[in-house]
Amino acid sequence: MEQFAVLIRSKDRQPIRYLVVDDSVFARKNVTKMIEAFGGKVAGEAGDGLTAITEYDRAQPDIVLMDITMPQMEGIEAAERIIRQHSDARVIMVSSVGYQENIVAALQKGAKHFVQKPVKAEVLYEVIKYVMGEDAVAVEGAAAGDSK
Amino acid sequence: MSFFSEERASELKDLFFESATELLQALNEEGLDLEKHPGDPEVVRQVRRTVHTLKGDSAACGYTELSALAHELEDALTPELAKQHGVKVAEVVLSAADTFQNMLNAYRANTPAPTGDRVFAAIHALIRKPALVPSPNAVSGIVTESAPAKPRFEWSEYEKMVMTDAVSRGLKVLQLALTIDPNCVVRVVALQMIKTAFSDLGTVLVVVPEEGSPLDKVEVITAALASSFDEEYIARKCKIPAVISEVFVERYTAPAAEAASTNGAGGAQHAEEDALNLAPEQNVPHQEPISEADSFSTSSLSTAPESTLRVDAERIDAVLNLVGELIIGKSMLTQTINEFDKKFAKDPLRAKFADALAYQARVLTDLQKSVMKVRMVPVEQLFRRFPRVVRDVSKACGKEVHLEVHGQATDLDKSILDVLAEPMAHLVRNAIGHGIESPEERLAAGKLKIGTIKLDAYHQGNNIVIEVSDDGRGIDRQKVLAKAIERGIVTQEETARMTDGEALNLIFHPGLSTAEEITSVSGRGVGMDIVKSVLERLKGSVVIDSKVGQGSTFYLKVPLTLAIIKALMFRVVDRMYAVPLGSVMEITRAMETEIHRVDQHEVIKLRDQVLTLVRLNRLANSTSKQKKIFIVVIAVNDRKFGLVVDKLIGEEELVIKALDDHLVATELVSGASILGDGTVVLILNVNSVVARLGRSNISDDLRAGASA
Repeated sequence: MEQFAVLIRSKDRQPIRYLVVDDSVFARKNVTKMIEAFGGKVAGEAGDGLTAITEYDRAQPDIVLMDITMPQMEGIEAAERIIRQHSDARVIMVSSVGYQENIVAALQKGAKHFVQKPVKAEVLYEVIKYVMGEDAVAVEGAAAGDSK
Repeated sequence: MSFFSEERASELKDLFFESATELLQALNEEGLDLEKHPGDPEVVRQVRRTVHTLKGDSAACGYTELSALAHELEDALTPELAKQHGVKVAEVVLSAADTFQNMLNAYRANTPAPTGDRVFAAIHALIRKPALVPSPNAVSGIVTESAPAKPRFEWSEYEKMVMTDAVSRGLKVLQLALTIDPNCVVRVVALQMIKTAFSDLGTVLVVVPEEGSPLDKVEVITAALASSFDEEYIARKCKIPAVISEVFVERYTAPAAEAASTNGAGGAQHAEEDALNLAPEQNVPHQEPISEADSFSTSSLSTAPESTLRVDAERIDAVLNLVGELIIGKSMLTQTINEFDKKFAKDPLRAKFADALAYQARVLTDLQKSVMKVRMVPVEQLFRRFPRVVRDVSKACGKEVHLEVHGQATDLDKSILDVLAEPMAHLVRNAIGHGIESPEERLAAGKLKIGTIKLDAYHQGNNIVIEVSDDGRGIDRQKVLAKAIERGIVTQEETARMTDGEALNLIFHPGLSTAEEITSVSGRGVGMDIVKSVLERLKGSVVIDSKVGQGSTFYLKVPLTLAIIKALMFRVVDRMYAVPLGSVMEITRAMETEIHRVDQHEVIKLRDQVLTLVRLNRLANSTSKQKKIFIVVIAVNDRKFGLVVDKLIGEEELVIKALDDHLVATELVSGASILGDGTVVLILNVNSVVARLGRSNISDDLRAGASA
């Protein structure tokens, strides 16, 4: 079982806030558990692109984890709209293999990174650390992860 | 999933199974939809989305067989393919749905999952002809991981020139070698990410391989950057997780000789051009159009915020159980206050008590209703699986059948609904297999070529009735009787006396099937008896109505809920019993002298009908010969019986407490309840009581149950 050093925001040393967007309840829960293991906080959830946009406005998260394939509005469009409104938004696309063109499109539209399903905690952790860059610090020694 | 503890993992798996079941249901519906509208791109997209979610979820749970198959299917499903192959695609989707279901079942049972070979083959058969799918995900060959300790940069003359020129202009030029993570299957994305990272770091002078060249075999991307950041920072920024596994950064120092020999101005121009060109180049479209993503989003845009809560059914049961206890508490209170009334008939407190009690009773009723409402789900959940059943069975039988569904909005207790699925499927299969005639037969009989199966649901008092009807050939009484005699179920003489209803009810007898030949979908002779036993277990009933040549209708009657019933209570000798109020037709009084004996049955003439009597006190050694007796007339299926009781208590809402099978060895009692004063009431299972009519051991069994 892996342990993760808790990642916190450097500016106020508060937990990083996430918006998790996926139409699968299961996938959301899965990612949420990982986020919590990193010491993060889920500020909002959305099951489709439109909700994601309003949730972003409401929750003002540090990071958006955005699924690509969703009803109502696809993840890419939602990501694009969020980035257009908030140029500092950090959107990480989450998708399965076979959608590389979509990922490229999302990256060109300003998404910061991507992870592939099935999401691996280690990978997600590194990606978040990378995307947050200077804005996050890892606090060593803090008990993180849900493993014993 | 190694990352999560066992407990979490199993919690997630539960969630997975739940949502996967819903996804499969949706997939079935979409598959049928696709069959109706072959090649409809919107439907294809829906199917894709469903399969996609299923793939993602199963992969996260580590169910590789399922996710692999889902992946294959998702990949293959394109609107073009659907247009090309039409109905065949729907066929593949539906058979895939079946395979998914089998896999799920296997996962749930912890048995090895079946291979999806057949479906894989079907998918491949579809996509083979038009080479549509490039299958970019098969990572060809083994990507060697051992990156060279110090990569050699092999710049072309031109590239060298660009770099040297930049150096000569006083820029700090760095050469980079980035090893692509072998796990990163999407190289195009990797390149994109790297370029994004570079653009934050400085001016890109060179990137190898160039845009648009095949990336499949590329292991290392080399680049030259003009940047003011130090090597260490650049290395960190370039080590993109999940994309780049190794980074090598080195300052490029132009060989002095070369630097001198370059013609400065031209080189600089080149460098600038290059830097400028890179940006628009990034927008060069890739092999496949991205427009798919855009067209997805143009569909319906109505937003529906999620306000649904998923709750474990057990938790609701717990709440309902508590409500049941409260109801018992209420009757305790009522009883106490009644006693108080008698004792202090003039006390002014009485009115206050009565008010408080009435208020409490009202709230309690509301509470009970709301909790029950939580357990209620629309019958639609049950009905929605039938389009698929009808399609499959009618196809297998070579019949044309149209399904008509009504009353989907009718609510029914979830636990009942779940149990009803199997018997209903039996009835529908039978209706298509036996009831509906072949198209030729139908035309010959002057009917529409396409047969109709109708499902309907509606309230009837405290019950829900679900109708399954067909407009087929109906059930032939003579055929049923002949078969029953042949199988030795009844005798010739008995059949002569049977009413139509009784004759039809014979089809519920185990081992009787009127089908001439046995087909794979119906006619095994099992099933109808299961239908009946399931309905009886639910304290419901099944009634047949059939007209030869016009079709048959099965009425499945089930109580609204299993937890609380309205019951009529009465006393026999010194025990309290109750029967569901729904089955009570009327209550009448009679004199002992009016009872006649026919064929060892006691009967009484009620108005113009002869009513068979059932004596619960038989063999109870009750010598008390009352002159006047109470008769509770109950209806079982379409027959009436009279229960002879000593004293009527009244009607009350009873909270059914299930009796442990080990304690009660009789099927005559379906449950028990506790009254306010602590008395235990046995709730009779009227079906079994009547079935035992004429046998002498009824009271024996009851006493066994009561003493438990």
